[in-house]
Amino acid sequence: MSGKKFFTERYERLGWKFEDVKPRQAIRLNVTNIKGKSLEKRLESIGVQIEKVPFLETGYWVCDSKFSVGATAEYLLGFYSIQESAAQLPATLFTDLKGKTVLDACAAPGGKTVQLADLMGNSGMIVALDIKKRRLAALANHLERCHIGNTVVYELDARQVSRLKTKFDRILVDAPCSGNFSTDRHWFNRRTLKDVKQNAKLQRAILTEAAACLCDEGELVYSTCSLEPEENELNMDWAVKHLGLQIEEVDCYGENGLTKVFGSRLDSSMERSKRIWPGETQGFFICKLTKTEGKR
Amino acid sequence: MKAIMKFAVQVGAKFSLNADLIVNRAGRYFLLNKDLMKVSRKNFYYAGTYLGKVKNRKFFPSFNLLAMFAEGEANKIVVEKRAAWLFICGREIFRKGILEVHGSRRKGDHVLVLNEFRECLGFGRIFRGLDGAAMDEVVVKNVSDIGDFLRREI
Repeated sequence: MSGKKFFTERYERLGWKFEDVKPRQAIRLNVTNIKGKSLEKRLESIGVQIEKVPFLETGYWVCDSKFSVGATAEYLLGFYSIQESAAQLPATLFTDLKGKTVLDACAAPGGKTVQLADLMGNSGMIVALDIKKRRLAALANHLERCHIGNTVVYELDARQVSRLKTKFDRILVDAPCSGNFSTDRHWFNRRTLKDVKQNAKLQRAILTEAAACLCDEGELVYSTCSLEPEENELNMDWAVKHLGLQIEEVDCYGENGLTKVFGSRLDSSMERSKRIWPGETQGFFICKLTKTEGKR
Repeated sequence: MKAIMKFAVQVGAKFSLNADLIVNRAGRYFLLNKDLMKVSRKNFYYAGTYLGKVKNRKFFPSFNLLAMFAEGEANKIVVEKRAAWLFICGREIFRKGILEVHGSRRKGDHVLVLNEFRECLGFGRIFRGLDGAAMDEVVVKNVSDIGDFLRREI
């Protein structure tokens, strides 16, 4: 069970007709670092044309650039990060991040960690985890480049986060996933339904551990860049039924999550999650969860 | 801590840090805030603000530390646009590229290199006394610049 035909037929059954798309390159301004500076003008003066992403506060699409936007002085000074526009959404769904204790459970290479730190104004504390040392080096570089001072990084499997003996006010689970074809042109040749199911199992294990470390009044945002319902709506349905979590309404870009997947009816609150089919952005899924009263 | 303060003297920085909040992890120095100090365990990979590392008894400052120095009194030169770009690419600085000099002008001293917006791009060593140099002479040798973020990833 693999191949382009297999997967695109699945998407069609989920209500989306396959289109071969290429997401637009995007950057995100690090507001804490550019206080009082007009970054748009500076980038324009060096030949980088940017356009605001309509559904993001600090996200811009790169319309034209004479050279790589990853090699400007402004980038090296940490004034912006290169971050795909849909990937900029999850961190913005938390309420009131300032001064909070935040877990970024699968953090490397650190785009969302830096975004969280920026939204927190470098206050409070972020615990960022990843299991791959090579990816931790990229995360550390990202933190140093963007002058982040409120983050501690551990080489630790997110499935073992309770070892830290810390309760978190906010948890981001940007789970390791199967990805999607719009950012990987060999995706259809690489992936099988078996991979998808294996990833879904791993994601459930991470979610279980994350939910156990979430404060009673806390918020958990789950995201993947997978289009496969096993890694998205079906996992969220499972979390609602088994982890004592409830899905919160979010006001952000994207279609409502699916409440019916291949004939199975899911919890009706699933429509509060957001599914983004590839287009100007890559494919993405986001869901915000809190603990339910009964389980507190 | 001693290594950091010694480097501060070399760039003429008037600087103080709370030693209680500095953690040395395998030769790498981090400045933690009080919240991080409470929860960080000994085995962290990275924490707070990275200040630099000691390798073979030599201190290599981080760009965070250089930016902190640049905010206060220190040896600094402000360079024009093209010189700033070439410096980030690892090149030396010619006298004609320098717009302003603050602090030491002596050969051998360290100096922070700032762009026209007063943002710190790295630091260098004064190769030739800044006062007597001709416009087309190299006066500051590049020691470390923010282009390093790109070079590290290769």
